[in-house]
Amino acid sequence: MDTLIIDGLSFALPLFIMSIGGIYSERSGITNLAIEGLQGFGAFFGALSVVLVSHFFHIPIQKLFYLALLLSMVGGMLFSLLHGLLSIRFKANQVISGVVINILAMAITVFLTTQINNIVFGAMSDKFQIGTSQRFTIGILSQIPLLGPAFKNIYPFELVILAIAILAYYIFYKTRFGLRLRACGDNPHSVDAAGVEVSKLQFRAVMVSGALSGLGGISFAYSISTNFSPAIYMGYGYLAIAALIFGNWEILPTFGACLLFGFARAGGYYMGQVLKLPSTFSDLIMTLPYVLTLLLLVFFSKTNRVPRALGEIYDKGKR
Amino acid sequence: MSEVKQERKSKNLSKRVILNILGNDKWQYLTIPIFLILLSFVVASIIILLLGKNPLLAFFNLLQGAGIMPKPSYGGYKSILTDFLTLLNFMTPMIFASLAVAIGLKGGLFNIGVSGQMLLGGYFATVLIGYSNLGSLVAKPLVLVIGLVGGASLGGLIGFLKYRFNINEVVSSIMFNYIIQYVLSFFIHTRYIDPVSRQSRYINPAARLTLVNVERFGLRMDLPIGFIIAIVLAIGLKFFLDRSRIGFEIKAVGANPKAAKYAGIKVGKTLITTMALSGSLAGLAGASYYLGYFASIQPRVLPSMGFDAIAVALLGNNNPYGIIASSFIISIIEKGSTYMSSIAGVRQEIASVITGLILLFSATNVYIQHKIRASKDRLQEDLGRELEE
Repeated sequence: MDTLIIDGLSFALPLFIMSIGGIYSERSGITNLAIEGLQGFGAFFGALSVVLVSHFFHIPIQKLFYLALLLSMVGGMLFSLLHGLLSIRFKANQVISGVVINILAMAITVFLTTQINNIVFGAMSDKFQIGTSQRFTIGILSQIPLLGPAFKNIYPFELVILAIAILAYYIFYKTRFGLRLRACGDNPHSVDAAGVEVSKLQFRAVMVSGALSGLGGISFAYSISTNFSPAIYMGYGYLAIAALIFGNWEILPTFGACLLFGFARAGGYYMGQVLKLPSTFSDLIMTLPYVLTLLLLVFFSKTNRVPRALGEIYDKGKR
Repeated sequence: MSEVKQERKSKNLSKRVILNILGNDKWQYLTIPIFLILLSFVVASIIILLLGKNPLLAFFNLLQGAGIMPKPSYGGYKSILTDFLTLLNFMTPMIFASLAVAIGLKGGLFNIGVSGQMLLGGYFATVLIGYSNLGSLVAKPLVLVIGLVGGASLGGLIGFLKYRFNINEVVSSIMFNYIIQYVLSFFIHTRYIDPVSRQSRYINPAARLTLVNVERFGLRMDLPIGFIIAIVLAIGLKFFLDRSRIGFEIKAVGANPKAAKYAGIKVGKTLITTMALSGSLAGLAGASYYLGYFASIQPRVLPSMGFDAIAVALLGNNNPYGIIASSFIISIIEKGSTYMSSIAGVRQEIASVITGLILLFSATNVYIQHKIRASKDRLQEDLGRELEE
């Protein structure tokens, strides 16, 4: 039972931070299907940096954990500039731009990973080993019945994510920047009339989304596989989008959706272990979050309130 | 004063050359994609140069590997012709898959689930016909029909979910992609696995859409039957979109669903029709991929072709004829890359990077058209002013 909560949380939180990024972007009016590619590129950038730093400066890679988190955010942000450039500056179709970025991210990271492994380390590998992350338990809190396991075996990134999520929540709902951002997604002309440059604001929102996706990506790399490999493109970015749609583009309900996905996934594995199913059944268990997403969308999509100007190319001259 | 004029003139000249090439409305549909492909190859060349390899040689190896240029030597029963036929064999599902993406985009729908629909159509065709003892004349048409129905039903379902429950087709198709990938992997692993190859068992040769190892002229060739069907279908689709009522409705809904509704078109029904058509083309792609190019299914893997098809469709401007041309180009890149990596020592993964770059630049197509029109107008103004002076 403990593992259910521990694994559920360690999956739900990275998903949640990516969803928040998606909310920022989409509430500013920019459809962001690029999250999948952004999280992959962010994780790649973070993993690559720490692997190189540890190789050249002989620092044990475990000590570079926070550097990896930070640089993943930088990497995700850098790659998100491409989405901003395509969809805001070049006025490309935002859905297409997102998918283009996903495909490109995958191609580039796989190519560079094998290439760099070959040149720098002389190895034939498509992985960067980034070491296992430490985990810790908060002594007193973990003794609480029922809720206790939530404070057991925590990855440090979970706390980082929580802190950033709270900050993101505050900025989104309580500051002037957040207000303008939300207005952009519904009525960009009103924002323009208030003297704010819409495209700049949208660009910032996309960059936030890139940074948060990168953080989510490296967290997955640490928690699921202890390395960066092409396996990072498991579709969790798309799952994050499904979560934010299910959460109606609001941060708190989205958190609920992410928790649901996390526990569904952990629950599936748990069930497989308890029932002693052969390993072939893991394929069926893997489908659980996706099936759940579809079912939830069937029930909740009808009542959704999509940001009114989402996906529209902002045209100043249009009224 | 005259110096300024001179400078303006020389600046105009280079501009005029570019505009004359790219700005010609009649040829723009050809010149811009070619420009974009060249641009992608320039970027790829820079990457290859940085790796210390010769890009021109690498690209030449690409053409050799794809059977466009002759290799220095061939193995027994092989020649440039057999390489070229292999290219066509690979290109066949690519055409189907790209047409699937294109018809969706025409109708305002982004079918990113082509991979899943390919896998589903291919799986059903494999299990129902591929493992049966039917004769060649019955089995081959049935493979096509079952692949088509399999893909169409999934596509139609995605369309229905969008129409009835307002579920974004991108999200639902991606979910279906994963579900199909894992569920079919489960069935293949439990029932149809070949323990040696770790893939599904080979299908009965009678059901295969490619005639393998046909001996003629001292060569062993693979003849893709599906290729002819793909070309005929592309031409038919062009006619269908341009001339038929349903084709018009699909385009009308894609251009502006509200206006289409006012015009009396049933938007919901058209949505489902578009997705079902797109899915059926994807199903055909799956049939010719898994029962033509290959003869078995690799479990737990979505065909990357379904995603490359997006690049092909964009590059071909969603026009069926354009798609035939662009699938030819992308197939050369994908197919020639193995030979290139073995000869030039450039990693094979560069192929998908080039495809990705082409895709990236294709996305700016509309912007470039817009930019060219704007600077053309400005040039006209300049010329007018010069005349006045």
